Amino acid sequence: MTVGHEPGHFGPQLSPETTQLTTGRRAPSLTRSKMIQRVHGHGFAYLLLAPLLLVLLVVLAYPLAETFRLSVLDVGIIGSPSRFVGLRTFAHVAQDPEFWAAVRRSVYWLLGNMVIQTVFSFTVALLMSRGGWLADKARILVMFPWVIPSVAVAIIWQWMLNSDHGVIVHLLTTFHIMSSPSSPFAHPQAALPVLIFINSWHWFPLGTIIIFGAIQTIPEEIIEAARVDGAGDWRMFWSITLPLISPAMFALGLVGTLWGFNVFDTIYIITKGGPSDASTTAPVYVFNQAFQAFQASQAAAASVLILILLSVFAILYIRFARPKSMM
Amino acid sequence: MKVLKRWRILAPALISVLLLPACSGGGSASSGGASAGSVGGAPTQVVLWHMEQPPNRVKVFQGLIDAFNKAHSDVQVTQQVQDWNQIYAKIPAAIQSQTQPDILFAIPDFASYVNSTGAAQPVTALVKQLDSKHHFLAAAKDPYYRNDQYLAVPLYGFGQVLWYRKDLFAKAGIMTAPTTWDELQADAAKLTHGSQYGIALPAGKNLATDQTVYSLMTTNHAESIYSNDNTISFNNERTVQTFELYNKLLQYSPPDSANYGWSEPQAAFNNGTAAMAIEKGQYTSPFTKESGRPARDLGCARIPQPSGGQPGSIYYSNGAMILTKDQKKVAAAGEFLSYLLEPENYGTFLNAEPGLFLPLTQDGQTSSTFWSNPVVAQYKQCVQLMVSQSQYGKLFGFTNGQYQDSVGKISGQNLIAQSIQQMFVSHLAPANAVKWGSDVMQKAITR
Repeated sequence: MTVGHEPGHFGPQLSPETTQLTTGRRAPSLTRSKMIQRVHGHGFAYLLLAPLLLVLLVVLAYPLAETFRLSVLDVGIIGSPSRFVGLRTFAHVAQDPEFWAAVRRSVYWLLGNMVIQTVFSFTVALLMSRGGWLADKARILVMFPWVIPSVAVAIIWQWMLNSDHGVIVHLLTTFHIMSSPSSPFAHPQAALPVLIFINSWHWFPLGTIIIFGAIQTIPEEIIEAARVDGAGDWRMFWSITLPLISPAMFALGLVGTLWGFNVFDTIYIITKGGPSDASTTAPVYVFNQAFQAFQASQAAAASVLILILLSVFAILYIRFARPKSMM
Repeated sequence: MKVLKRWRILAPALISVLLLPACSGGGSASSGGASAGSVGGAPTQVVLWHMEQPPNRVKVFQGLIDAFNKAHSDVQVTQQVQDWNQIYAKIPAAIQSQTQPDILFAIPDFASYVNSTGAAQPVTALVKQLDSKHHFLAAAKDPYYRNDQYLAVPLYGFGQVLWYRKDLFAKAGIMTAPTTWDELQADAAKLTHGSQYGIALPAGKNLATDQTVYSLMTTNHAESIYSNDNTISFNNERTVQTFELYNKLLQYSPPDSANYGWSEPQAAFNNGTAAMAIEKGQYTSPFTKESGRPARDLGCARIPQPSGGQPGSIYYSNGAMILTKDQKKVAAAGEFLSYLLEPENYGTFLNAEPGLFLPLTQDGQTSSTFWSNPVVAQYKQCVQLMVSQSQYGKLFGFTNGQYQDSVGKISGQNLIAQSIQQMFVSHLAPANAVKWGSDVMQKAITR
């Protein structure tokens, strides 16, 4: 988007690419000389980007290639002798019911986190956008769960829910909500839902900040016009706020899903995937295969399969969930 | 435009400045590992990795290291503390990048794991030399013996006993500690009332559960989980009996036992929530402070055994592996380990965690520096009991003269503990849980 004003036109002037994105119409194709001119013109930008691309190549492409290589070998302990086995390990993982059970738990984990974080984030962001003394203070306070390191979050909640010393368990027992003191992490039905709540508590400020930021970009005149037309709060939310922040929600949904799916630390620190594998999600499964079962190739193959699943999800998400304004 | 031109000139220089240190930094940062050799007259650098994280242990180790470094100007030992939860992931990466430590503390199954990476250097000559001087206990050194070579120098041992709260026993009218499985069950039942539980047993997916269950298995002659043809023999009547006992005892253990590891039973024991626990010697040191009770209230006894059973406990030693091929470092590491096992230093070393680290050499067992420690002296009877466990203690995968390298796949995945979880959490019958465990163990070692 290039910013410039022409007589009688007060809005931002759109570049051909942006025009295509926002209207769906194809911009006139560039001639070869213009392309070269453009690349040449951006030479300095590419030069500045080069170190970053180099770093990305080293820290992303190399590990990815190494994971693919590992997945077609039969490595047990990392570093031990191995031989090429082709796609046999993939077949083994695909036939492992524990792998699919872990994927199912990850989907459950993901959906749970999405629902809770969306509700938390939206609620807090909308309250914050109303202004006032409390809203101003909340902008800072709401960041606290997010700035606490995951390890600390895990340990804090582990202790708050400890049956001997945990303040939450103590309160639940005192008010007879719980018959005898017991940690939820010892119960297979409760462990994963409680972990989802903890993770949502930890990460909802990120969603809150993004949604709050998006709400702030809604032009005041649109809101005022809707008010003049007699729109109530609910109608304003559905017809004004939600459509206008949908690009931000789209990006948050994509990034949040990919991040959320791969959460490992909180789960592993608190339950190590237990009890009885009740919280063994896909990342925990991969870790267990690599460093507890000492099946590095199986872990690599599972990682590749998860990568494929997430890639398919990302493609479908971009294809079908993209807001109309970004088409 | 002028600004742009200036940037075009400055940018490559700026990038070079940013990138050059990164390119040249590789060789200088090796705080440890194989690359840190001696240069000229500089002392030989020896890096030690251990997983003894509590600050009191690190402090005592550092004191011994400082004293050693002072007495040996040609060697400089440094310790780096690692995490048991991460070491299985960290050590292969370190070995691959050739930044492994020169000395690595290990337990027998972890030593097998490290050995399979090809980085372990045999320490046979050193072990034999130290054995002739200090006389290692067989149970401490044998699990490190493979293919006519020792993989590690044994340093300290661990054994379990039954810990019980004498004050809670007295309140319940029980005068002596249980000695049989029947008495153990009866006492656990009698001591369970209100918010108090008879015994705190771990049933989480962790090593603590593996070890506690295995201690009870040894008392019932179920210590061998491998048969003579190296297949899994876990599924047998005696193991099932042990699981049945454990299942009954779990009824008298706090309801969140499925999430219990090492610390939770100890916390429950010290705050009076539980009257008994089966564990190693870490119960001695913090007892008075954490329980608010006098030391005399901490009782210890042999782990109860069934009718026709035998005295039993898990017993294993922590040993030091050498992972460097640099002969100068190998010699320096040997010198340091020999120094630790000298009786005048050994007692101090063991008392990094008094009551938990047990002597495993004959002269170490009579070391005055060991027995004079206030905690050890206060709980002398219990420490003696744990030391005596070495006579009949066992370790799964290392029984009947077998040294199973594949046991790491069983202990690494906590398959004994997982079998307990199948029984306690998923409500399988003990016999079915044992069968489940046997099947997954066989599958694990076959893959």
